[in-house]
Amino acid sequence: MEKTKGFVIVSSKKRNFYLYSLNLAESIRDYYEPEEECKICIVTEEQFLDDRGREVADDIIICDDHYRAKLWGMSKSPYDLTMYIDADMECEHEDITKVWDEMKDHDVVFSALTDDRDYIYAERDFSTPEGMSKFTLCGGVCLYDMSKPIVREFMDDWWDLTFRQMNDTWWPEGYADSLKSWDQFSLWWLTNKEEKYKDLKVGIFDDDLRWNYYNALNWAITQPETGPVILRHFSAGLNKDTPIV
Amino acid sequence: MSRKQWMDNAFWETEEKKELNCILELEDDVGRVTRQQMLLHRHDKDGTENELFNEVIDAVGTDSIDKCTEDRITHKKAKIEEDKLRDEEHTKARKLEKLFNYKMEAFEVGEIKDSKNRKLKAKLRRAKSRIEVDLYSIMILQEQLEAVADGKD
Repeated sequence: MEKTKGFVIVSSKKRNFYLYSLNLAESIRDYYEPEEECKICIVTEEQFLDDRGREVADDIIICDDHYRAKLWGMSKSPYDLTMYIDADMECEHEDITKVWDEMKDHDVVFSALTDDRDYIYAERDFSTPEGMSKFTLCGGVCLYDMSKPIVREFMDDWWDLTFRQMNDTWWPEGYADSLKSWDQFSLWWLTNKEEKYKDLKVGIFDDDLRWNYYNALNWAITQPETGPVILRHFSAGLNKDTPIV
Repeated sequence: MSRKQWMDNAFWETEEKKELNCILELEDDVGRVTRQQMLLHRHDKDGTENELFNEVIDAVGTDSIDKCTEDRITHKKAKIEEDKLRDEEHTKARKLEKLFNYKMEAFEVGEIKDSKNRKLKAKLRRAKSRIEVDLYSIMILQEQLEAVADGKD
């Protein structure tokens, strides 16, 4: 049986994120061909959901207001091949339809956090009991295959570990407390320290800047090489706290 | 044992090569190293040759000073070009953010929010300027008002 495919967008805590998620969903539909095959799941809080959300999404999942509801939502994807996209992004190219080809033989695919892009992150290098390490994966977009039990487990664990590190019920010795607020850390831990995920095939999108292009922080330092931007990430440049209207 | 050495990164301050920017490294008897940056003139105020200036020329060599000066100019030009490019990209990025926010506001206007015309809404989303956003907003608004007038809505 052919694997189902769809996009997951999560918006919690602030109404602006919900409005961004509607815009993102509609922008994906603007470019996806054929549009009727474009499946979108919006994960949001009951208080934000309105008719526009019900119209643009094929699936709706209600979440709570956790700061990292994103990870909970990712683990609840109703699709086999899932492309998670941060709500504050916008699709601007028809190659979005080709996203599923990026799966290749990987289990999970991210964009990379390379040395020349570390200006994107406030805290990237950190010390561990074994020496210095750094985050190398960026979770703004994530393509994953939920038909694989190991991936389902990984997504559940990523959420669970992040939840526990944030409420102080889990934290390994020898790591700075400042890292507790980063889901990058739980991701790093699972992919580097957890034995059961040592064979998890983690990939990077080809020309990954096309799939997660940080608009506000790009000062001509990095540009996509093989084509125009597909997904633009507005991220830090938006005023998320001030209501849009 | 004390030591005195002119560093090999000296460069000309002017095209006429009448001023030299250089660094003197000094090490005292107990091994403490200090560096002193100097701006030396070829001639003193009374027109006589500056001995220190000549000392640097002898120690570092004119070819090395010429090369350092050229490298410095090339590097400075490249830096100016890079900064200019960064500023342009930064301005572009800020403009796009502002436009994005403006579109978000437009999509919250009642008539646009309720519009089912996906084609026009897609055009609004793809708009490259505020005026374009305004134009598509007006078109959507007009369509909605006409629909109301025709009793379709």
